[in-house]
Amino acid sequence: MKLYSFFLAASLIAGTDDTFVMKGVTVHPVTGPDVENASLLVIDGKIAEIGDAKLKTPKTTKVIEAKGLHVYPGMIDSATEIGMSEIGSVRETSDVSELGDYKPQLRAAIAVNPASEHIPVIRANGITAALAVPDGGVIAGQASLMHLDGWTWEEMAIRIDAAMHLRFPVISTGSFFSRTSYPEAKRNYENRLKSLSDYFEQARRYQKAKAAAGPGFKTDLALEAMQPVLSKKVPIMISASRERAIKEAVAWADKESVRVVLAQVRRPGSALALLKEKNIPVILGPTQELPLEEDDPYDEAFTVPVEVHKAGVKFAFGSFGNQFSRNLPYQAATAVAFGLPYEEALKSVTLYPAQIWGVDDRMGAIEKGKDADFIVTDGDPLEVKTNVKRMFIRGREVDLESKHTKLYKKYLARP
Amino acid sequence: MKFLLFLTAAALTAAPPIVIQNATVLTVTKGSFKGSVVIQDGKIKEVGEKVMIPPGAQIIDASGQYLMPGIIDAHSHIAADSINEGSVSVSSMVGIEDVLDPEAISIYRALAGGVTTVNVLHGSANAIGGKCQVIKTRWGKDREGILFEGAKPGIKFALGENPKRQGMSSGTRAGGGQQYLRYPGTRMGVEDVIRQAFNDAKIYQAEWKSFNERKGRGENPIPPKRDLKLDALVEVLEGKRLVHAHCYRADEILMLLRVADEFGFKIKTLQHVLEGYKVAKEIKEHGAGASTFSDWWAYKVEAFDAIPYNAAIMVKKGVLVSLNSDSGELMRRLNTEAGKTMKYGGLTETEALSLITINPAKQLDLDNRIGSIEPGKDADLVIYDKHPLSSFAKVQKVLIDGSVYFERDRDITDRQLREQRKKQLLEKEKQNQPQQKKNAAPGRRPA
Amino acid sequence: MLKHLSGLVCLAALALSPGNAETPEVIAIRNAKIVTVSGPVIPKGAIVVRNGLIEAVGESVTPPADAWIIDGAGLTVYPGLIDSLSTLGLPDAAPMGAPSATGRRGGGPPTATPSGPPTPPARGPEDRPSNTSYLLAADQLSATDRRIEAARNAGFTSAVAFPNRNIFSGQGAVINLAGERPGNMVVQSPTGQFLTMRSAGFNAGYPGSLMGVIAYIRQIYLDAAQYKAAKEIYNAQPSGNRRPDYDKHLEGVLASPRILLPAGNPKEIERMLRFGAELKQDTILYGLHEGYRAAALIKQHNGKVLVDLRWPEKSRDADPDQIDSLRALEARDKAASTPAELKKAGVPFALYAGALSQPSDISKAVKKAIDAGLSFDDALRALTLSPAEIFGVSNRLGSIDKGKIANLVVTNGDLFQERTKIKYVLVDGIKYEPSPEQPAAPSEATR
Repeated sequence: MKLYSFFLAASLIAGTDDTFVMKGVTVHPVTGPDVENASLLVIDGKIAEIGDAKLKTPKTTKVIEAKGLHVYPGMIDSATEIGMSEIGSVRETSDVSELGDYKPQLRAAIAVNPASEHIPVIRANGITAALAVPDGGVIAGQASLMHLDGWTWEEMAIRIDAAMHLRFPVISTGSFFSRTSYPEAKRNYENRLKSLSDYFEQARRYQKAKAAAGPGFKTDLALEAMQPVLSKKVPIMISASRERAIKEAVAWADKESVRVVLAQVRRPGSALALLKEKNIPVILGPTQELPLEEDDPYDEAFTVPVEVHKAGVKFAFGSFGNQFSRNLPYQAATAVAFGLPYEEALKSVTLYPAQIWGVDDRMGAIEKGKDADFIVTDGDPLEVKTNVKRMFIRGREVDLESKHTKLYKKYLARP
Repeated sequence: MKFLLFLTAAALTAAPPIVIQNATVLTVTKGSFKGSVVIQDGKIKEVGEKVMIPPGAQIIDASGQYLMPGIIDAHSHIAADSINEGSVSVSSMVGIEDVLDPEAISIYRALAGGVTTVNVLHGSANAIGGKCQVIKTRWGKDREGILFEGAKPGIKFALGENPKRQGMSSGTRAGGGQQYLRYPGTRMGVEDVIRQAFNDAKIYQAEWKSFNERKGRGENPIPPKRDLKLDALVEVLEGKRLVHAHCYRADEILMLLRVADEFGFKIKTLQHVLEGYKVAKEIKEHGAGASTFSDWWAYKVEAFDAIPYNAAIMVKKGVLVSLNSDSGELMRRLNTEAGKTMKYGGLTETEALSLITINPAKQLDLDNRIGSIEPGKDADLVIYDKHPLSSFAKVQKVLIDGSVYFERDRDITDRQLREQRKKQLLEKEKQNQPQQKKNAAPGRRPA
Repeated sequence: MLKHLSGLVCLAALALSPGNAETPEVIAIRNAKIVTVSGPVIPKGAIVVRNGLIEAVGESVTPPADAWIIDGAGLTVYPGLIDSLSTLGLPDAAPMGAPSATGRRGGGPPTATPSGPPTPPARGPEDRPSNTSYLLAADQLSATDRRIEAARNAGFTSAVAFPNRNIFSGQGAVINLAGERPGNMVVQSPTGQFLTMRSAGFNAGYPGSLMGVIAYIRQIYLDAAQYKAAKEIYNAQPSGNRRPDYDKHLEGVLASPRILLPAGNPKEIERMLRFGAELKQDTILYGLHEGYRAAALIKQHNGKVLVDLRWPEKSRDADPDQIDSLRALEARDKAASTPAELKKAGVPFALYAGALSQPSDISKAVKKAIDAGLSFDDALRALTLSPAEIFGVSNRLGSIDKGKIANLVVTNGDLFQERTKIKYVLVDGIKYEPSPEQPAAPSEATR
């Protein structure tokens, strides 16, 4: 209880506690069937009971009447620059990409600005948590799972070391502006891959040296940060988009014996069977994208989640940015229009990311014992028209006002 | 074989009348109801709950489906081989009409997203940009075939960060060469460029008037030079060319309205106009339309006060508002972009649909032709499987001028044929490879 | 005498030195098959060449007493081939790559000569950027361009050579591919203005885009018309009129009998045919790799075209997993059918070697067009009489007729066949014997 007490101040709605019962709502637990006209009991920030209208609660329990509204788990964006960047075109406002190729010791969480204008804006559409992902170089640093509420980044942090972000080398023959021959591109790629493997080898030798504690052993912060990856405590989040890169990344990860989450998967093709076999989950980028190639079907990007689902591979969505993070639910919805089962779409922004980031004991579904991270809506959160009416994070009501709603009110009232 | 190349090169020709039956008809201007639409000679002939079915009519059964007018994107950059003549601050001598690409796949993709009319605009690198071209997404037709016949010509203006970018010193140029700054480098300079250009246009107009008068008196004066740049601006002054002005901040929006007032012309639409909500009153007074994004923001400084309620505020304050894409991707789902305004600002269903149909039609002076389902209008229609303002809606069929240009079922068949054809060609090439290798001689280089 | 002529060792040396003084003034080839192109094939006949001209040709022509006799038994005589678009003799020209008709950089570097202090980027058409319309190929010729010999070895006796570095590159000339001095080589000049659609690229001055290039060309033509009118009025009445400024850029345009415009695919073909018509200039299109899709269109516009023989191929160092687009695959598969399609449609066309220089590559490329449906006769015509007609020199070049320039190719079999060897080439009646095929850049030692 005490731990959460400063959240009272964080929320603009004063006097709310993290113990209450919400009545008259349809609860969509995601893990089970919907419960209509339910009473949702929250005690000390945790879901204590999902009962019917007659659920008995102590007299002192605050009652929130929310008749006709819907309760869904708070949504989770599995890749963002949340709090790490403010205005895309202004370098000074961005802390996403650090210099250098190998920087496992960098931690995204500490660069998350809790006062970023993006946080309330994204929150307003029902997103309660997001993975802040560092980028740049080969090993970019640690991605941190953050609650979208808190006075400090410490308060926001759910898991600071949710994943180690690796941008897997690709064979790139260049862009419209510059071209490299394939043999040369392949050589570049092989060199980069070798240096990556060398780095892992170095981290392993460091591990042994540390265990031996021989004379002359010196602590190395970067290699130290690699240890949880080698022990599989922290998954390595590998950005690899197309079939060939995915296959190579998986083969490499096998060899290095690390736990993998694949990110920005876009054209997995026959690599999907491999992902299924190895039980590797994937973070999909936005569905609302143009087809990769001229000859691709017009709906190519819309159907990537469908393909991944059919292969039996677990997936979640990431917005890979800030600006359109609030549209996360619509990325999932677009896939539904083109064949993804609705339930899967909903899970891909709630339950699945919680599972992938190892926090499904606490979030991702409305279940007894889990944190009360949920939203109250007037409809399906995947529908663009739906309004998110209220939001609770760890049982505390969170303000849904943002820079946008404030400017709206101000200028609507201009005479 | 051609159809393989162009997906649906030859759209079905609309010889017999067509009746679309049992649809939920979203007319936009005359309410919504379950009924039918009769199409003859490319035009909407009759709309109603009960209609007369002409003899020999082809029936399209749209039971359980939704019919709406073809979507109009008031701001796009598809289907052209070049977009920006960025070298000069006034590039009104150039025009999209010269570089249209009727085979651009972006046309087909837009069509598959229910878009039937597109205003293809010049880029935003210049205070006064190039000429725009309105097209219909008649996929498979040649250049002539995609032009929106009779559409009023337009021109792009641009204010703020983009046109002043080349006037701001950024140190040495990439490649080490000298950096040449281009005027203007401030919003003050952007205004100056526009005022100077229209001042020049007025002088030019007077020169020609004087020349024609002297000619009329039987003299033989040396003719003034024709200037393509100023010709376009004279057309603006004469009200023959519509101005579509890219803008973000409230101050620059107001500036442009006042410059237009000074030189006696109208701004037809303010494009992007992300802070339009701050000066909605002034926009309405000038009579300009506003064409904006649903929820883009924060990608640059001048977009930091952008809010998704922009469209709704402007609608509520009486401005003629449309939503545009500015993107070959976004234009495929303008329907759900419109849906967002129901959440951000509480627009009604009809108001939301208007943002991508009748309102942009008015902004292009084409509302007598397109933008709603009414008798006499072009039969540009989209059939969705669900209500088009829903996240889950998908386009099933698109008609332009009464001809079916997109059918989802046919697309799915065509993509298989295309795949087969591709395999066949790759195989053939592979077989010819050894011979080709021998062919490989280094290209001739001059001594 | 005969023995001397067929003395291989000796002749090889002679052949390498153009304009060899020992070549007799009168040559007769007898007992040869003669493919006149303009008329029927003469199965066995004789040709008499005197003073660089064809004095007589026919079955029953008797060689005069003063002639050096070549026994043509087993040999075939063709008109010398004409490379209808080239930079032969112009060492400063850019490499003749595939033409860029989309405004992007291609076909060699853009406006060159980076020496000297950097010039500020052009800020409008008035700066006359990328304009050397006044350049005459005839004035720029170098008789010692080594590529000339390579072309002769491939059977080319004439070429239409153009400067090619600018949007308005300058005027071409029909040249013969031998001569001691440049002046000997010129057959006809000027023969047309070579235009490219090459823009300066981003941030490098006007015009920076394809539409900028088109608008620029249009403005230059307007300026040229005004310039002409102003000069006429001024010359008639200098008193009281301000004299027009002299402008060499416009002089070059006004002096051009025709223009050459780049076009590869149907979109570009349509665009450039329309543009040529708008400029009211006799227009020849060049490139045409997807001309097979636009033959009817070209016919409809009465277009004339030059087809690049370097057919598109799969890029050699491409990523093996990268699959090209269906569009690119189709183009690679069908490009060589362009000449046959043009023939079928009745379009006047000629072929040009483009970036090909090795005789065997050129033969293979022609063979590919023949395999794709072009008859041998039409292929031959497209390299002889057709280019002569297109450039208005068919009264002196392109066929074996009495009075025409004695440009001949003598082979031991049918042209364009792999095994066929070119025995002799006559240019202006002077005989050359091809040396064995050499690598692209001959070393000094072979000279």
